[in-house]
Amino acid sequence: MDFRFTDDQLTLAESVRDYLAGTHGPEVLRRLDAEGNRDPAIWQGLTEMGLTGLLVPEEHGGLGLGLVEAALIAAECGRACLAEPLVDTAFVAVPWLVRNGDLADLGAIAAGERQMPLPHVLNPWVADGEGSALESVDPLRNLVMFPAAGSADPYLLDLGALMSAAQLVGLADAMLHQAVEYAKIRTQFGQPVGAFQALKHQLASCAVAVEFAKPAVWRAAEALQDGGESASVHVSHAKVAASDAAVLTAETAIQVHGAMGYTYEVDLHFWMKRSWALNGAWGDRAWHLKRIDQAVIGGTMPIGPEHTFA
Amino acid sequence: MDLVYTPEQQAFRAEVRAWMEAHVPKEPLVTLECREGYDQHVAWERTLASGNWGMVTWPEAYGGRGLDLIQWLIFEEEYFRAGGPNRANQNGIFLLGPTIMEFGTEEQKARFLPPMARGEVIWAQAWSEPGAGSDMAAIQSKAVRDGDHYVITGQKTWSSRAAFADWGFGIFRTDPDSKRHKGLTFILFDLNSPGITRRPIRQLHGDTGFAELFFDEVRVPVENCLAGEGEGWNVAMATAGFERGLMLRSPGRFQATAKRLVDLYRAHEAEASPAAREAVLQAWMQTQAYAYNTYAVASKIMAGGKIGAEASLNKIFWSELDRMMHRTAMQILGAHAELKRFGNGQINQWLEGYIFSLSGPIYAGSNEVQRNIIAERLLGLPRVGAG
Repeated sequence: MDFRFTDDQLTLAESVRDYLAGTHGPEVLRRLDAEGNRDPAIWQGLTEMGLTGLLVPEEHGGLGLGLVEAALIAAECGRACLAEPLVDTAFVAVPWLVRNGDLADLGAIAAGERQMPLPHVLNPWVADGEGSALESVDPLRNLVMFPAAGSADPYLLDLGALMSAAQLVGLADAMLHQAVEYAKIRTQFGQPVGAFQALKHQLASCAVAVEFAKPAVWRAAEALQDGGESASVHVSHAKVAASDAAVLTAETAIQVHGAMGYTYEVDLHFWMKRSWALNGAWGDRAWHLKRIDQAVIGGTMPIGPEHTFA
Repeated sequence: MDLVYTPEQQAFRAEVRAWMEAHVPKEPLVTLECREGYDQHVAWERTLASGNWGMVTWPEAYGGRGLDLIQWLIFEEEYFRAGGPNRANQNGIFLLGPTIMEFGTEEQKARFLPPMARGEVIWAQAWSEPGAGSDMAAIQSKAVRDGDHYVITGQKTWSSRAAFADWGFGIFRTDPDSKRHKGLTFILFDLNSPGITRRPIRQLHGDTGFAELFFDEVRVPVENCLAGEGEGWNVAMATAGFERGLMLRSPGRFQATAKRLVDLYRAHEAEASPAAREAVLQAWMQTQAYAYNTYAVASKIMAGGKIGAEASLNKIFWSELDRMMHRTAMQILGAHAELKRFGNGQINQWLEGYIFSLSGPIYAGSNEVQRNIIAERLLGLPRVGAG
């Protein structure tokens, strides 16, 4: 029993964080927003980092890592508000293809030559798919109508929900950071507004929500990797907790920014809108609560102090 | 990340489970906050000690089992699974014990720790004063050196366990010219010393758990001072760290409450509101999240890490979670919530628990103070008035 990431996992996440911080800052999001949303150079960079092949088995040209590593990287993608379909392709589609023994495209995905956002019947639309376009509140999310050939596989849904949850904790972290930095420099009544307890306490409440959503996400990643009986319930817990933390942090962050927060000029809106989008994707709050309900109140899963991990 | 128990950990769980099933009282004890209940709880401490289950995380040399933190979590899970009573010895196990181990002399360790482990001496804490609550550095009670004694004069309040306990600990101003955090000394004292008057305070529920303590020239030998004169603030901060940190409230306690809440909901499903249903699901989710986080922190500490201001996140989370769960139970109970005993004579433990849960966000550093700590030390926001 050891609820810690390995040094290798932490090093990997840190290198992705540093890479995205250096190459994919808010100025890049603004440029993409102005110039057609996607830039092949960004995808190329992600491929060169090995991220498109993170979960592709080594014999197919990937790194052969697992869902815990993928969840850690997905959180970094959320932190950077990455718009490219990396998570959908590499962390959702790849493990699903591997599970189904459908290995034909893995080499091309690892090499960055294929993007594969998969439709699921629970999602009414798909980002970065082929079809008639829809407009999302998230300006960097390229939505198309749901293609007829969507899967109803619960494992695919679990993968999508888990990776959304991981992105949401990263998004929440980033929004909290932006709000804190703004509160330090914006001065009113002769002091930084962040010195007022009214703001401090709201931001501290966000920190509590985010810090207690994270371990639920990591636990769900481990459970889905292991394929335990109750893995789906833990994924639902992760999705609800991460969504709630991100929505709370988004609303708090805009409030802390005051009128500036209501402008298109402040970076916050990209993160906030991605949070709203992922909140409803891969099973919305009500859907996941229902699954928890069946397990906890319905009694299909043992609960109590001796069942923390079983 | 390895979320599987080793065979040794599983065997340890089985050992705790067997002992608890054989020894935990079948009927709930009377509340700890009255004479009868206090005596029952102290008797339970001695039963625990007889099986060497009193101070499981303490080193064997002081009457413990030297368990690591994962074993401690397993112990606590089984303790609360079995419905183990609240611990009368809480102040000793988690506050004073670790503090003496860190700051005490060998003589002090040998003198104070074994009787604490055996449940023979129950300790009260004495931090707050009428003018020093959240602002503990405003302490005024004085300890004046007179030969090989301190002479203590002053007043402490909200002193938990002090109505019935044997000994107390707190910080006192030993340098009369000092201000704020300086000139304070950590002193242990016999609550039956001449000059001490205890006035039990009737609490919200009507019983007496904490007390006011009046010190009228109480003579305490200087060897009862911990870590040297003037070091009181540092020692107290370390103690408060233990309290807020990992060990004050183990996840098992709250997971047991969540499980009881699910059972309560099922029994009242027909008339309960949809909001109560979602709150019940939140109870499971949040108690699990608290457990995961505690395992994560325990793993970090076992690998040589430390817990700092994150302890404030914990304290806010469990105290507001506990209040939410009991509030939900009260809502599910509806008209029955106000009854101290149900029609069948059974004590309404949800009511007692709800009232107790209201103290959680206040004691051990109010949640407002905790939010300031998070904002300033974890998030890096400027201190109030820092302009």
